[in-house]
Amino acid sequence: MGAPNQGKNQLPLSTVQYLTFLTAGEEYAIGIGKVKEIIEYEAVTTVPNTPIWIRGVTNLRGRVVPVVDLAVKFGLPASRISKFSCVIITEVMFQGEELTMGVLADSVCQVIELSADEIEATPAFGTRVKTEYLLGMGALGKKFCLILDIDKVLSTDELLAVTESVADEGSVHAPAVDLGADAPAKQKAAHFEAGA
Amino acid sequence: MDLADFDREAVLASFLAESEEGLDLMERVLVQMESSPSDPELVHNIFRVAHSIKGNATSLQLSELAGVAHVVEDLLDVFREQHTLPSPDLISLLLKAVDELRAMVSTASTGNQELTPGQQNLRREIAHEVKKRSERAVNANGSAGDSGSAAKADTLPGPGHRTLRADVEKLDHMLDLTGEIVIAQGRLRRLIQKLGTEQGRAMLEMHREAERLYMDLQSEVMSIRMVPVGPLFRQLVRSVRDLARSHGKMARLEVVGGDVEVDTTVLEQLKDPLLHLVRNAVDHGLEKPEVRERQGKNPCGVIRLTAAHSGGNIIVTLQDDGAGFDRERILDKARRVGLVSAKDEIREQDIYDLVFQAGFSTAEAVTDLSGRGVGLDVVRRNIDTLRGTVEISSTAGKGSTITIRLPLTLAIIEGFLVRVGAETFVVPLEHVTECTELPAEQRCSEASGILSLRGTALPYVRLRHAFSLSGEAPKRENIVVVKINERYAGIAVDELLGGMQTVVKPLGRAFRAVPGIAGSTVLGDGRVGLIIDVPSLLRGVMQSSSQAQA
Repeated sequence: MGAPNQGKNQLPLSTVQYLTFLTAGEEYAIGIGKVKEIIEYEAVTTVPNTPIWIRGVTNLRGRVVPVVDLAVKFGLPASRISKFSCVIITEVMFQGEELTMGVLADSVCQVIELSADEIEATPAFGTRVKTEYLLGMGALGKKFCLILDIDKVLSTDELLAVTESVADEGSVHAPAVDLGADAPAKQKAAHFEAGA
Repeated sequence: MDLADFDREAVLASFLAESEEGLDLMERVLVQMESSPSDPELVHNIFRVAHSIKGNATSLQLSELAGVAHVVEDLLDVFREQHTLPSPDLISLLLKAVDELRAMVSTASTGNQELTPGQQNLRREIAHEVKKRSERAVNANGSAGDSGSAAKADTLPGPGHRTLRADVEKLDHMLDLTGEIVIAQGRLRRLIQKLGTEQGRAMLEMHREAERLYMDLQSEVMSIRMVPVGPLFRQLVRSVRDLARSHGKMARLEVVGGDVEVDTTVLEQLKDPLLHLVRNAVDHGLEKPEVRERQGKNPCGVIRLTAAHSGGNIIVTLQDDGAGFDRERILDKARRVGLVSAKDEIREQDIYDLVFQAGFSTAEAVTDLSGRGVGLDVVRRNIDTLRGTVEISSTAGKGSTITIRLPLTLAIIEGFLVRVGAETFVVPLEHVTECTELPAEQRCSEASGILSLRGTALPYVRLRHAFSLSGEAPKRENIVVVKINERYAGIAVDELLGGMQTVVKPLGRAFRAVPGIAGSTVLGDGRVGLIIDVPSLLRGVMQSSSQAQA
């Protein structure tokens, strides 16, 4: 829900609401159905050995929620915190389950309504964001905002891959000799785990 | 006769719960029959189970399920009438029936289901056994055995005290809430203390009162979550029996301390590692009966699973009287895969530690049980996640003992707060033995080092480096001395902040196995603090230090 069907077999007038926000000078949009709430940016704790685009974790009324810096994720310098900075709390689907994650934004802009025919397909190049992260582009007057497929952007598959490789390095530790010999064993282990 | 839908739902729910318990009992008794075949009363107990499943299934119109339960009941009835006990083969058949019944019960909510071909076969096989046996009985006694003893069996033993089933999720939520109250109360207390007025003092007094009540509530909530380890241990009795049979070995599992209680989450997560260790004991530890006899041992191997409390921990030991771990083979294998070099002198304990390394397995042939090189490392990882430790001791020819030490609960720990830069971390207090200042003359800027503590070498790791935290180390650093598996190590931090009761929260599904981090907690000021996973943080430094000492 919330995601436009890119025009196919869709009522031309159906509109969807989007929340737009600024990150690294660019305006992005997320389907409002994905947004749970917006909180002030305060007290984010860094978690070591995690990908750099995970800014850390914050306390959302007793729940520990990861906060993602999209600027870093998109290959730009880390966001600077100002008094307008906030965290958009979203619910993303991960392996069939809902996962609460926070998105750091430089500021939140507006809620817009876009009908399917107001959304243009993403050009194959020219955007700074990988096209697979985008659902399309919405017109904002003369400008465009990039509509994010937030499930894909925050897909933790990538995240898991990163933490696991860190974990492996961490567990290989002391005896320096074992690197070569250990590698096939590790593959084997992975193979059996996948088979089980 | 038609039950309204919502009634049926409720009846079904209680049927599920009851049948599950009944089938567990049946399984337990069947295994027991085999090891102590002297008590014909046992048959009565499980006959009742089969009978009530049949009755309930019939009333829920689950005729196929009722049919299977019916033949099982008939077979048990034959033994009941003849005052005999089933042979091992028949016990296997009945255990198979228990498995199938369990599967059918668990899918019962979807309505009456067709039997799978396997289930049909099983049903025919049991029916055949019944016929064979009752004919024999007819010939012997001249009268047919009466299978209608329903009236007696209908009275299930009434509950001794009133109990209530509750969803574990609800208990989890209750625990979360009690945790939140701890935090809120801490913040409130600090606010009141700041007031400092006459009224403030009175409020503080009231607040203390509330805190006392709260502590009582918390311990009640915790105690609800405590469950005995017995049911899990007894499931393994069955596993050992089946495994041993399929491998031409004889083995029996003895359970000691089944009423020792532990948090339900801990127990849940202990299941896989224990099953693994038990399998390992049957597959690698115990010898074949003929070998055992030659060595003057009882042909039937004994695996003893013991649970006991010790302080805030539960200690689970798994002891077998098999061949023990083969030190030479472990070393040989470790050298071959390059886990240790040929020259290294290795301490006894360290040799057994090697088997917990990923990719290590000494089994020559890959069996369906073990020998795949995945296994004991998974056990170690599971136990690490539970903030526990595992140790092996072994005597060649006499057997081995695996000791697992786990905290009683995962939910609340006594934490020791430390600061590095702007971040606050929690070190579980159970690991901490003392704190000391890092002497200026022993300081270095390396990620880790060795410190002389009262004349002994203490390896330490600098948290700032281990977690790649920004900023420079201050002039004075402190060392938290921790003890893991009878060995000491230090963690260098900027400042020691003191103890605090800490409500453990998982970091969430977005993070999996972050090295060095066991979880998180909400600190007194509302920030999230990370809980340090001491064993995984120090494993590297411990190993290099033990090699340095050797």
